[in-house]
Amino acid sequence: MQNLLKILLRYSNFLVFIALEVAAFLLISYNNAFPRSSMLSTANAFVAWQEEQISNMRGYFSLRSLNEQLAAENAELRNQICSMKSDEVDTITHYVPAKVVQMTTDQLHNYLTIDLGSNQGIRRGQGVRNEEGVVGIVRTVGPHYSVVLPIINTHTNISCRFAKNDYIATLQWNGQDCRFAQLADVAAHMVVNTGDTIVTSGLSPVFPEGIPVGIVENSVLKEGDSYYTIRVRLNTNFKRLRYVEVVQNAHQQELEELQHGLD
Amino acid sequence: MDWTKQIGRYILVMVLQVLLFDQLQLWGACHPYIYILCLLMLPITLPHSADMLIGAAAGLLMDVFCNSLGIHMAACILLMFIRPYLLGVIVNDKDRLNEQITLHTLGWEAMIKYMAILVVIHHLTVFSLAAWSWAHMGFVLLETIVSSIVTMLIIIGYNALKYR
Repeated sequence: MQNLLKILLRYSNFLVFIALEVAAFLLISYNNAFPRSSMLSTANAFVAWQEEQISNMRGYFSLRSLNEQLAAENAELRNQICSMKSDEVDTITHYVPAKVVQMTTDQLHNYLTIDLGSNQGIRRGQGVRNEEGVVGIVRTVGPHYSVVLPIINTHTNISCRFAKNDYIATLQWNGQDCRFAQLADVAAHMVVNTGDTIVTSGLSPVFPEGIPVGIVENSVLKEGDSYYTIRVRLNTNFKRLRYVEVVQNAHQQELEELQHGLD
Repeated sequence: MDWTKQIGRYILVMVLQVLLFDQLQLWGACHPYIYILCLLMLPITLPHSADMLIGAAAGLLMDVFCNSLGIHMAACILLMFIRPYLLGVIVNDKDRLNEQITLHTLGWEAMIKYMAILVVIHHLTVFSLAAWSWAHMGFVLLETIVSSIVTMLIIIGYNALKYR
């Protein structure tokens, strides 16, 4: 017993080191399994408040390009109103405008924080877009802020299709360039051309059908491969993202419950 | 050792880290973590395990701001664990370690060796844990080299200005 105590005392520093590292790795693996789900993240009110201040300061420097963007969006909306007067109005999807208070674009696991939370009806799994195209999916919701997993996060998968023939594929990101994403699951028999438009598939309740995602930049079919390697130029400019819209699907809960019931 | 001075410097460095260096997005591969300056410059007067606890706390606070729970904590604990052994090898005159570790106490050669080894170990740990797979190995190494150089320049520059 005494010998054991002596050994423990002799190696106490090393044991403290091991214990602390084990604690750190438990935190890391917890965070990898449930990203952003803890209080110790940017969904935390204080950190989000500080990010919002930084973001406000930066906002002044991008007012000019923002105005141009807003003008373009207004025009687009007016066009939509005109075409809607004749069509049936979509009552299932509902858009809520939000502001980006924090965002990274140069990491492997990028996140963005928006200034809406459960108090404004935001729920995990809702889609996020802006007027250019798809942005990402809501991951963690706090009372006043939410954290969004954007396309440019290596964990994100978004169901897409080719606008020309409705071929379904999955959009992923390889962690390198925030302007481009990769399209998986496109079999070799498809004909893929540079410039093909990629839109959301509407197969999940996250996004309605047909929101623009990007266009095919180049496609490679290596000999012996049965799937293409496709690079997609994203419509959304993540470097300048300031305002987004959260997509709320009135039937999302019902659809998810039905789909979960099958598993 | 003057604790108010150490804590004051820590707050100043953290403010700079969060408001300035975390906002830099240079070439996509440059993420200097200058907050480890405070850990690197602590004198060797406290027990080793207390040093590691300080490292764990500083890393955890950084993690909260970086959305990377545990990653900076693991890297800072490792850094504080290695530090006294490394100083023991590099520095001959042990009495010098009772003061702050600065350019003045170590001299150019020992300071550059000490900083280079620990900064690279810390940054490599942070970036490889953040990548969490071997697939991004090349990018992690590039990130480590670029960021370590910038961090070292800033820490040694600060020392050269203040403690010559």
